[in-house]
Amino acid sequence: MVNSIFLQFLTGMQLGAIYVMISLGLALIFGTLGVVNFAHGAMFMLAAYFGVIISESLGWGAAIFLVPAIMFAIGLAMERGLIRYFYTRPHTDQILVTFGLAIVVQELLKWQFGANNLPFATPDWGTGITRLHDYLPFLEGFVAYPKWRLIVTAVSLITVAALFALLQFTTFGLVVRAGMRDPEMLRLLGVNITQRFSIVFAIGVMIAGIAGVFGGPVTQVDPAIGMVFLVPSFLVVVIGGMGSLPGTVLASFIIGLAISFTATIPALANIIIYVIAIGILLFRPRGLMGQKGVME
Amino acid sequence: MSKVNTDFYKKDIKPIAIFSIVLLTLPFWFEYIGGYKGLDTKIVIWIIFAIGFDLLLGYMGFLSFGHAAFFGTSAYATGLMLLHFSDNIIPAMLVGIASAIAMAFIIGFLTLKRTGIYFSILTLAFGEMLHSMVLSTLQNWTGGDNGLTGLQSPMLMGMKMDGELMYYFTVIIAIVAYYVARRIIRSPFGLMLVAIKSNQVRLEYTGVNVARYKLMGFVISAVYAGLAGSLMVVYEPYVASEFLSWHLSGHVVIMTVLGGVGTLVGPMVGVGFMLYFENVLSVYMGEQWMLVLGLIFMLTVIFLPGGFMQLFGKMKSIFTGGK
Repeated sequence: MVNSIFLQFLTGMQLGAIYVMISLGLALIFGTLGVVNFAHGAMFMLAAYFGVIISESLGWGAAIFLVPAIMFAIGLAMERGLIRYFYTRPHTDQILVTFGLAIVVQELLKWQFGANNLPFATPDWGTGITRLHDYLPFLEGFVAYPKWRLIVTAVSLITVAALFALLQFTTFGLVVRAGMRDPEMLRLLGVNITQRFSIVFAIGVMIAGIAGVFGGPVTQVDPAIGMVFLVPSFLVVVIGGMGSLPGTVLASFIIGLAISFTATIPALANIIIYVIAIGILLFRPRGLMGQKGVME
Repeated sequence: MSKVNTDFYKKDIKPIAIFSIVLLTLPFWFEYIGGYKGLDTKIVIWIIFAIGFDLLLGYMGFLSFGHAAFFGTSAYATGLMLLHFSDNIIPAMLVGIASAIAMAFIIGFLTLKRTGIYFSILTLAFGEMLHSMVLSTLQNWTGGDNGLTGLQSPMLMGMKMDGELMYYFTVIIAIVAYYVARRIIRSPFGLMLVAIKSNQVRLEYTGVNVARYKLMGFVISAVYAGLAGSLMVVYEPYVASEFLSWHLSGHVVIMTVLGGVGTLVGPMVGVGFMLYFENVLSVYMGEQWMLVLGLIFMLTVIFLPGGFMQLFGKMKSIFTGGK
């Protein structure tokens, strides 16, 4: 009993770990730039494909550093080359253009790699199982868990911690947080906020990239996966409270755990996330940690 | 007053007449431009869908990414009626549209309270919710991945609904739908929708119950989607689980935006273009047609926010010397 609950907890955390890396980027980009990025799922998917290619040709060590770097560059290019021109356009145009981009990325990947799932092997040091009962005395008997899933969870938690540290303890973070609250005032003070925000956009895409390269072996790598992860990530942001990063983290893990604990009833597991979202919309429309008056 | 009224009708007669003539004669010249039988019916059905979508996006300014929810709900309801109740399409279609309306009230209630961004995200999410419900939670009734198969031929007053009959039946509904849409946008109610688009908050301050108008606009749009979904099942006769997926919602978004939002005619042009592209021109580009279409869509959004209608307008002004 303890065992199965603990394993479901771990699975939920691992699922939440992937959601949090995708949704944080969404929430960050929305909070700073006010842009809803419908191509964010496609960025996650693109990173997973890069992960497959680079890990096969240059090895996993290279993939871990190269993929986030490439995604950062892509994010920067996307903001500078496309999104920037849409700040003054209506929200619907922003959504439409990112939606178009999502389709283009998806179709490009389908064209190059086919519609089927690509095999994505974990590295040697991440393959196999971890014997949890060696470390955790409260587990009964033999309890094993795939090592890679633990690594994904750990990487995600480190990424989240690093992002919060960046926003909380650096001057850059201070400016960004101030910009989320009142961009007008910051501009008046002579801060070049546009430049900071394009870096924020790139960081958001990079985190999705980390999710892609580490999450890819756990999820699937096919051209539909971007949309499959985009929808729950949107709901995570809505449940957590739009514009609230801690809320996004909290909601990711709640959703992950909810899916994992209902997994024995597939009919429920597939819709539990929507049920939670409906509940939130009805009883707490601004989200779990959304602030009153902010983006309501 | 009477003068205003005659103006009112005159303005409607010309576009409706052109619309009717094009659709009624379409089967006679469609084959010469590479079309094939059956595609014409599909185009007319999608036109109905796109008209309703344009009422929501072009006039009310709300971008729904979950319109498949109404198309699909109605399609499933129609399919289930044909399967279990009778092969008469009248009760089947009525139940289909009624279920789309019911679904629109529920989803509209949940999604319309907030800003447009929330709306786009949440309609996408609830659309996907219905899709996954059909695939897993309700699969005993919906046939899961396979959809609803084995429907008997739908009948209307003892006549089998296929071929020409089905085409002209759809065209008559489309003409009525277009006429109603034109009347809606020039009614006080339509003005309210446009007012919502331009400034919701200000409208609220003038004492208008904005929430009610938004919900009504949304439901009307869903009626068009439901009508289209229902007709699609009568036409096929088969219900695909794809009818509820975001692909279908995405298609209607692409068609409407390509053609030109807020013009009613534009989305029809968009429908014709996209289905022609998908079924006829795609021969020349194989599997990559969707990639090409995606690029066209992006370029349109970036450079031609008014879609093809804006392009036509520009060309017209070039030829007439900028007048």
